[in-house]
Amino acid sequence: MSDASDATGGKADTTEQQGGESAGQQGNESAGQQGGESAGQQGNESAGEQATIPDDAVLELESVDSGYGEVQVLYDLTMHLRGEEIICLIGPNGAGKSTVLKTAFGMLTPWTGSVRYHGEDIGGMAPEDIVRKGIGYVPQTENVFGSLTIDENLRMGGTARDDDLGPILEQLYDRFPLLQDKRREKARNLSGGQRQVLALARALVMEPDVLLIDEPSAGLAPNTADEVFADVRTVNDMDTAIMMVEQNAVKGLEISDRGYVLDQGTVRFEDQADDLLDNDEVVELYLGG
Amino acid sequence: MAVLDQLIELTADGVVYSSIIVLGSIGLSLIYSIAGFANFAHGDTMTVGAYSTLVFFGILGGTSISVLGLPLSFFLALLSGIAVTAVVALVTERFVYKPLDIGSIGLLITSIGVAFVYRALIQIQFSADSRRYDIDRLRPIEWLLQYNIRMTEHDIAIIASAIVLVVGLHLLLQHTDLGRKMRATADNPSLARASGIRVRRIELWTWIIGAGLAGAGGAFLGLFNQLVPRMGFNLLLVIFAAVILGGIGSVYGAMLGAFLIGMVVQLTPILTSIGIPIGSEYARALAFLIMVVVLLVRPQGIAGEAVGGGG
Repeated sequence: MSDASDATGGKADTTEQQGGESAGQQGNESAGQQGGESAGQQGNESAGEQATIPDDAVLELESVDSGYGEVQVLYDLTMHLRGEEIICLIGPNGAGKSTVLKTAFGMLTPWTGSVRYHGEDIGGMAPEDIVRKGIGYVPQTENVFGSLTIDENLRMGGTARDDDLGPILEQLYDRFPLLQDKRREKARNLSGGQRQVLALARALVMEPDVLLIDEPSAGLAPNTADEVFADVRTVNDMDTAIMMVEQNAVKGLEISDRGYVLDQGTVRFEDQADDLLDNDEVVELYLGG
Repeated sequence: MAVLDQLIELTADGVVYSSIIVLGSIGLSLIYSIAGFANFAHGDTMTVGAYSTLVFFGILGGTSISVLGLPLSFFLALLSGIAVTAVVALVTERFVYKPLDIGSIGLLITSIGVAFVYRALIQIQFSADSRRYDIDRLRPIEWLLQYNIRMTEHDIAIIASAIVLVVGLHLLLQHTDLGRKMRATADNPSLARASGIRVRRIELWTWIIGAGLAGAGGAFLGLFNQLVPRMGFNLLLVIFAAVILGGIGSVYGAMLGAFLIGMVVQLTPILTSIGIPIGSEYARALAFLIMVVVLLVRPQGIAGEAVGGGG
């Protein structure tokens, strides 16, 4: 997995991998230029030039401004997700990490810029339609139907599937045996970690190409968080690309291929996850180093 | 012994009355759980059901074949009345509640206005005088009288119909795709959308079912008593008490709360008979007192989820 993305991502990385102080500037500038240039054009060609959005990106946000009501949260944000990779969005509270996911999933409509999935503009499309395209979303909180059983939760996750849910449910129960044991229990009776697994499994019933996960480790004890991270990794191994927001930046980056550091609604750094972990400035400013 | 006789008689009445309250409460609870506001027009929605049934029964007339003392055409009129009530609720939702973006309190107050409009229109058309379905009143069933139970076949029809509707709703909610989606949407609308559920469709179905049950309740109330334009509104507070007692938004809680409140209201006269000087004029006050006491002990209601305990 990481080998493949390293190979395809090589070109993009060299421009970013300046290290030290310039990495921050570079990241900023390229995001800015990207936005400016592409405003008039269709995205993919300009992305090629800039190497900011590669051709094999499945999900792209380009020069996106977004927010809630009157309050702007994202400013000219550009990022992408390639097939089969995990990327992690880190950054301080209020940086707009969750807003990126909500904008990508149609829960917020981008004010300007575009959200593209396999080249198709999906900005502002309704979540129930985006799900049908092949993107799944796991919210940070209230991410299971508490009053429904485990089995019903998974069935709801498969609402948009036309085929019989039996085979995919069996497959998910095999993968997450703890759900199998409790399939007739109400989801509200699950522990925090179990809920997170169910939330993940609910989104997986659609077998999405892209999964957006908001803070999978929120509120979990360290051990449990590790298990959930391991599950996220497994999901990725099933050929699902993952865009994840994570407060626990180090852990999040450790399981990711690439990372984006967000601050004040825009991308400050973007790099291979390993390199972000080694970047002194990122460590000092954002990883509590 | 006289007290026991009275108890049996009041209990019989209470079961019939509770059946009607149950039908009203389910709809109020369903609509609250999906639309997110307390619908003060729900009582008058019951009235719409009663008068629609009256109109259809007038058109169809009586039939020679009857079930439980009710002509078959009455049941047909009832179904038509339920359909009209559902349509009225859908139209109101589509053209009044939905376009308004004013939050749950604003919608609550709007629904009070809607209630006035329903009632005024009914009063313009049918006057404020009481009406009856053109069905012969029945004597209590003979063989039940020997147990001191005074129940007519109409009473049995009301109870049986309510049971059929409640069981039907239960099967719908638990064992159909629509029912699961209704529960999921009531539980967490945003996650429902993220799961691909067409929430708007579910909302409309909820209005259809909630208003349809209210319409049935109204028609039965007309059969149990008589039809007056205020009939549904007069029940509204009792229905609210039932829904709150059961746990707001919980359909099964609403059923239970409605049954309890209905019985309390009807059984109140027994208190005077056993020497407690609380007359039947305090029946509703007593029902609300019990509601308050239960809520003090269990603020989330009988079947409601503890706040913050849900998923």
